[in-house]
Amino acid sequence: MDKHTINMPGVEAFAQPATRRDFFKALAFAAAGTAVGSTVLTRKASAQSGGGDVEIANFALTLEYLEAEFYAKAVDSGVLSGDAAGVVENLADHEQQHVDAIIGLLEGAGAKPVEKPEFTFPADAFSSQDSILNLAATFEPVGVGAYLGAATLIESPDILAAAGSIAGVEGEHVVAVNNLLGVVPPANEAMPASLTMDEVLAAVAPFLGMGGMMDTGGAEYRDRTSFGRV
Amino acid sequence: MSEVESRTASVATDREYSRRNFLKTAGWATAAISAAGIGGFGVAARYANAQEGDQPYTTYEGLGDVAILQFAYLLEQLEGVFYQTGADSGIFDEFTLAQIAAIRDHEIAHAEAIAATLGSLGAEVPATPEFTFPDGVFADPAAFLELAATFEPVGIGAYQGAAPALESKDILAAAISIHNAECQHRVAINILNGVNPPNDLAFEKALPIGDVQEAVKPFGITG
Repeated sequence: MDKHTINMPGVEAFAQPATRRDFFKALAFAAAGTAVGSTVLTRKASAQSGGGDVEIANFALTLEYLEAEFYAKAVDSGVLSGDAAGVVENLADHEQQHVDAIIGLLEGAGAKPVEKPEFTFPADAFSSQDSILNLAATFEPVGVGAYLGAATLIESPDILAAAGSIAGVEGEHVVAVNNLLGVVPPANEAMPASLTMDEVLAAVAPFLGMGGMMDTGGAEYRDRTSFGRV
Repeated sequence: MSEVESRTASVATDREYSRRNFLKTAGWATAAISAAGIGGFGVAARYANAQEGDQPYTTYEGLGDVAILQFAYLLEQLEGVFYQTGADSGIFDEFTLAQIAAIRDHEIAHAEAIAATLGSLGAEVPATPEFTFPDGVFADPAAFLELAATFEPVGIGAYQGAAPALESKDILAAAISIHNAECQHRVAINILNGVNPPNDLAFEKALPIGDVQEAVKPFGITG
């Protein structure tokens, strides 16, 4: 799991929520909207009640919002050149298509898509191509791990089919970014790792203004928020 | 025409014939992918509303996890032998070889994982058939990489198509991870083929099992 650890520039500078309660409140909003916020954190129970797929889709939507905004800002930064510019333009396009598709899926199922949260990025995130690519290299495996971890909890085969389609593309992004960063060989995982929901939340917390919170709340919460991957 | 030239011409004709057949198959597979690949989530959304038509995964339903794993095992063996032979060919530069050797290792690891799972289920691990590849594919880097670019979407399409039909969540977890590795291979091969940008799809494509079977039949998988 070490490779999935977020090690971002400037992460210490991020605001930390005052209490664990604030963290979960903010997280619930970000992940599934206030109405279903409490149940998103009890994944297994809600999945059994049939509402799980919607919450998983909304959680995925939040991750896709984050990636889409990150890459849109990266494209707008003007610091990308050469092959990186084309790769990141496609990344931005793909993530936005994922956002649109998940919204379409949720609405098609009569469910309400979550609103896009307000994201926070490190101050120097868009100052250089290296900074952008290094952040991309931390985002993409999280996206892969989230989808792989969630897959076994999805009940609807149609939603699982869609999740598989998107998960594969996130894996492809890992390779494209690896290649830009000079990783040889760029495709180097026989069986990409799934992440527990806890691990995903810890990884994205800094972008929701909650950096470092999982250091105090994560371990205790782990069992209940696990995606259920054995 | 001398005897030598004649023999050369004959070999060249065989190769051309074989290659033509292969390209026909590959072209067919590509067309099938385009036709069947239907845009991921958009289709899922339509199905949620209208139940129109059949998703690729429906063609795997009822086969059972064991049969799906046995078929996947043969696909992995095919890929493993292909990349193993490629890695041993001595025709690649250092960067290309590093990637091909890694993919070989991944495919072998996939096959071993599937075989172990079949073993734990008390099911038979299929005998590996003698695979046939187009002439010259291990003598020409471009031909090898072109074939690799047709293999990977077939493996992706098979796993992605089968995943929703799997009954065991543990097997699903493994299959969806292997699927991800195959997707990563596809972009890695794009990189080696000079496709720029290599991340060229917003949604990966599932294939119905019939299309996968047709695509791999020329290589010796008849199951």
